[in-house]
Amino acid sequence: MHVLLLVLYDPLKGLLTITYQLIKIGNSIARLLKYEILNEERSLIKRDKMFFHIVLERNMQLHPRHFGRNLREHLVSKLMKDVEGTCSGRHGFVVAITGVDSIGKGLIRDGTGFVTFPVKYQCVVFRPFKGEILEAVVTMVNKMGFFAEAGPVQIFVSNHLIPDDMEFQSGDMPNYTTSDGSVKIQKDSEVRLKIIGTRVDATEIFCIGTIKDDFLGVINDPTAV
Amino acid sequence: MSGEEEENAAELKIGDEFLKAKCLMNCEVALILEHKYEQLQQTSEDPLNQISQVFEKSLQYVKRFSRYKNPDAVRQVREVLSRYQLAEFELCVLGNLCPETAEEAMAMVPSITTKGRFQDDYAIDKMLNDLSMIKKFE
Repeated sequence: MHVLLLVLYDPLKGLLTITYQLIKIGNSIARLLKYEILNEERSLIKRDKMFFHIVLERNMQLHPRHFGRNLREHLVSKLMKDVEGTCSGRHGFVVAITGVDSIGKGLIRDGTGFVTFPVKYQCVVFRPFKGEILEAVVTMVNKMGFFAEAGPVQIFVSNHLIPDDMEFQSGDMPNYTTSDGSVKIQKDSEVRLKIIGTRVDATEIFCIGTIKDDFLGVINDPTAV
Repeated sequence: MSGEEEENAAELKIGDEFLKAKCLMNCEVALILEHKYEQLQQTSEDPLNQISQVFEKSLQYVKRFSRYKNPDAVRQVREVLSRYQLAEFELCVLGNLCPETAEEAMAMVPSITTKGRFQDDYAIDKMLNDLSMIKKFE
């Protein structure tokens, strides 16, 4: 709007503004395209594994009553209590801390007696990615599809993503069965599935999966054993 | 929809971090977690209280799905697979899923045929054969 006004008001300045705006638009399109290409490249690289061993850093606050010869131990046990079992969208679930690399110099907080220590630690994290293939245990079956669990992560497989020849059978043990009855998905079945989407909350990761692809589906039938 | 966008943005951020990070196979995670579980039971008087739900679920999961139980076998798997110039994550997927045929392996890890690492299906079959041998003699 103000560009138009400027054209009316001062032709030269208006022209400059328009050019500037055009360049800005061009830039953002270029950025968008670059982003697209980057994304495409990334999706080509199948990043397929969900357990990682990584080094993370965290600032730990420690109460002054713990200062003494056991300071390090207190710090490490507090770190384990704080971090293990948490989930962040960025790193996924922190399953276990395997070691502490370094503890930096503490800094006394103004006003309180608390001291902040930067701590570097190694941990095992669990992070599901799109396009990843993994094995999971079926936990619940209903007519909308089924839920499966891979470690701490819940995966939902909608009935649209279950092969068309599998039909839902209700009853006290709801299941999906092929017409000839040779393959059955029910609670406690082990399935191999592909993750096609993830939703990341601050405290939870939820995935959508599919078994409608080659080499996916039931790998172990609990009733067959 | 917005969730998906966030995830993508997050992926762009974490990409390098996770590519640099060491990838673990289920069987390796099982070893690490079991070791930690034992340690916890020895040190604390109230072990059940110490263990988070995430830890417990992960342990159950990796125990159920790890193909190799013996620590030596686990080491061998990594050693054998690392001979084939695989990326960390490719190595882990193969170690986890243990595909039986070259076709299955290519479906599980589509990137396996890039960079000219395997000339033909025969080369992949050979690698898978090596893997199954470890399992057999475990």
